[in-house]
Parts: sequence; C-alpha cells; structure tokens
Amino acid sequence: MLLKAFLVAMYAGLAGIDLFDGLSHIHRPLVSGLIVGLILGDMKMGLIAGATLELVWMGAVPVGGAQPPNVVVGGIIGSAFAIMAKQDPTVAVGIAIPFAVAVQACITLLFTFFSPVMHKADKYAESCDTKGIERINYLGMGILFVFYFTVVFLPISIGAEAAQGIVSLLPPWLIKGFGVAGGMMPAIGFALLLNIMFKKEYIIFFVLGFILATYLNLPVIAIAAIGFIIAIYDYQKSKSVDKIKGLSLTSSTEEDYSDGI
Amino acid sequence: MEYNNGYIDSSQEKVITKKDLNHMVWRSFLLQASFNYERMQACGWLYSMIPALKKIHKNKEDLSRSMKLHMEFFNVHPFLVTFVQGIVTAMEENKESQEAIRGIKIALMGPLGGIGDALFWFTLLPIAASIGVSLSLEGSIAGPIIFLLIFNSVHIFLRFFLMHYSYKMGVEAIEKLQGDTEYVTKGSLILGLTVVGGLIASFVRLSIPYVIEMGSTTVNIQTDVIDKIMPNMLPLLYTLLMFYLLKKKKTPITLIMLTLAIGIIGSLIGIL
Repeated sequence: MLLKAFLVAMYAGLAGIDLFDGLSHIHRPLVSGLIVGLILGDMKMGLIAGATLELVWMGAVPVGGAQPPNVVVGGIIGSAFAIMAKQDPTVAVGIAIPFAVAVQACITLLFTFFSPVMHKADKYAESCDTKGIERINYLGMGILFVFYFTVVFLPISIGAEAAQGIVSLLPPWLIKGFGVAGGMMPAIGFALLLNIMFKKEYIIFFVLGFILATYLNLPVIAIAAIGFIIAIYDYQKSKSVDKIKGLSLTSSTEEDYSDGI
Repeated sequence: MEYNNGYIDSSQEKVITKKDLNHMVWRSFLLQASFNYERMQACGWLYSMIPALKKIHKNKEDLSRSMKLHMEFFNVHPFLVTFVQGIVTAMEENKESQEAIRGIKIALMGPLGGIGDALFWFTLLPIAASIGVSLSLEGSIAGPIIFLLIFNSVHIFLRFFLMHYSYKMGVEAIEKLQGDTEYVTKGSLILGLTVVGGLIASFVRLSIPYVIEMGSTTVNIQTDVIDKIMPNMLPLLYTLLMFYLLKKKKTPITLIMLTLAIGIIGSLIGIL
C-alpha cells in the first residue's frame, strides 16, 4: 500500500504544479481518475469515478481569480477512495469535497507566506541576478510539489476514512474565514497599482471606471474599451493642440512632423 | 537625458528573433510558479521575460531598472499571457518609457481576464470535458486522452500564435507612434486608472450580510443599508484603506496579514 500511496502522491505533486503552471490539465478529475485507477489496479472504476468527479467540478473553475475547492486533491482523493473502499463514485464526492475545501484554505496560506520571498526577488532584480529570479520560481514549484505530495500521501497511506475524521476537526468558521480573506486579497494588488499610477489630475478616470462597473454592471472589457476611447481622444487632442501652439510637451528634438505640417 | 526615456543606452536595435519569442512561450508556462498575494504573477512574469530583457538591455543599469519594473504587481489570464508578452517585448526593444510599458501591462490585465474566462473556462474546458466524460462513463480509456488532445491543441496553438501576432502588432503600432511617447504615456495612465477603478468593483469581494432583528422587521446590513448608499462601497473603501496604509509605508505583508485576520475574525463573530 505504501508504494501505491507513494506513486499516487508523486502524480498529485505533478498535477498540483499543473494546476498553476503548465495548465495541460492533467490535473482534472477525468485524467486523475484514470491514473489513480491504473496505480491502484482498477482502471475501469477509476475512469468512472473520475468522470463523476469531473462533472462535480465542471463549473468550479477559477473565474475572475476566485479559487474553487481544490480540484487536484478532490479528484485524486475521490477516485482513490472510490476504488479502495469499493464505494459508489457519488459517495466519493462527499469524501472528496471536505478535503478539497481544506486544501484550498491551505493554498491561501501558502500564497500569503510566499509574499515575503518577493522582497528577495526585488533584490535579485536590482542586481540583475536572472539566475536568482529563476531559482525563486523553481522553489515555488518545489513547494507546491511537496505540499500536494504530502496532503495526498498521508490520507491514502492511513486510509481515507481515518483521514476524513481529521479534516472534520477544522472549525467551519476558520475555513470560511480563509474564503472571506481570499475575496478581499485582490484589494492589496489594486492598492499597489494605485500607489504607482495615482496622479491627482486623473482621479476622475478612476472614479469613472468604478461607476461603470458598479452601477452599469459593465464587464471589465467594456470599461477598458471606454478608457481606450478616452485615451485615444486625449492623445489626438493634446497632440493637435501642441502642434498649433508650435511647442511640444516633450523636450525631444526627434519629433516627426513630416506627416502633419 | 530626458528624451532617452530614462535609459542609459537607448539605442533601438532589433535583437529579438523568432527563436527568442518561442523560448519565451515555453517559459510562459511557469507564469504562476511563484504566485503570491502581494505581487501575484510578477516574479513568474519576469521569469518569462528574462530572455528578451537580457538581449535588449546591454547596459547593466538599464537591465536592473527593467527587471524592477517587471517585478511590479501583475496578474493576467494565464492562458493569454503571451499576448501581453509580445507587445511588451516590442515596447522594451524600442526602449519605450517605463510608464508606457506599465500602462499597457495594466490595461491588458482586465480585458484579457474576461476573454480568457469566456474562451477557456466557459467554452473549451466544458466542451472538451463533456466529450471526455461521456467516453469515460462507458469505461473507455479514450475519454481522458481525447480530453487532453482537444484541450491542449487549442491551448498550445494559442500560446504561440498570440506571442508572434502581438509582437508583430506591437512593433507596427510603435512605429506609428514614434516620438509621441509623452502623449502615449498620458493616454496609458488614463486607460490604466479607468481599468483599475472597474477591477476593484468587479473583483474585490467584501460584504456584511449581517441581519439585525428589530421586532417583526429584519434589516440586512449589506442589502438594506450599504447597497442603498452605494453598491461595492466596501470593496472600494477597503482598497482605499490599503492604498492609504501603503502611503503610510506599511508593507504589503502587513496588509496581507491584516486582511487574513479580518477575514477570520469577521467570520468567527459572524458579520462577514
């Protein structure tokens, strides 16, 4: 059993990386059902369990950056449980979902604690250390591999039912709290952008974008199109105004007026 | 110095070959290798830009400035990243100002997110998966195989196509805009700020669905009070609070910890 658990966990590590990097989708339950089935010696059951779990996760995709319950662990633990306990694949869904939710909460923590590493990356950028930047990215994938390996190896080697008892010990408010915080996190990224771009004279455009999304419920692509139109208008207008005045905003001497005046 | 767009070596040479672009496409698969809440994909994005940056910026100081620029917050739909890479590579090669490059990066983030979701999550994945599921349920090993083939033929084709297409497009657009850098920078600030305003309302999620009971009537704080004043008020205020704290020299790590604490405590006492 340990060897089989090891092989499934190796696959989980690779699939966990694929969820964020690679994106070849070998991490979907449809595929993990087959792989887990082959390792555990019941390919047919694996295929059917994988397909059943695939349907559950069909709508659960990271739309707009929100992360659904973890599809990698859900698919692998679900298929493994269906085969090991000789259960109906639909029961496997009930076992898989608490695992998947708990793992996604851990991923939130992982993304939080990887933030300080960015300051190391800033130093590498400062000193043109491209190798350093590469090492940080390989490290990130290494951590993902070890994480997924562990969360899949442990429950399969001790048996899925025993492991389920441990997961249910996590209080629901804690898991929900991770979800709430995950929804608020994008605010920090946008604040960082504002910190770089904010100019008082352009604040109206920021307000405009917010209003278009809030009251008109426009999708971001429409808002970008409107912003683009304003930017083009402003571009043409300020260019022609400056040409009439005979002066340029830039101190450049390389301005090309050959097509204009 | 001014007209050099801040570069020490501002010579505009065409150094990027098709091979470099392909090399960068392969690297783009690792976009989210170092994903985190502070900069999101920034470090992975820089990883995929390194081959171009090293060739373009022969001056050490220019390379360092450029690498720092690309360590700034970045988050784009992972399937469409090569589209941004192509344009940005063309801009870097032409030594455009950092403000203009940043503006384009930000302007593309949101719209590509919407397109990517529609194309991959709502169309390609469900179609490929339903075909796979129907075969798998009959116990056929073809299910997962056909699924992977359909999904990845579109996925990998698009990565390469978008890179070469947008690089070519970027080069042509830049030639037309030659010498207009100041105006382009101004325009990209307008575009960038409009998009960020929209992004906050669309993607930051924060609400207080707490219900107060007063005799026979109940008042839901979110839908009956806050939404009446202004929907998305909390996401806006929270982002502005984060912005204010950054101005006060608080580090992003502090902000992330604060956010995590608010989420957990809010959920524990039942107001969030």
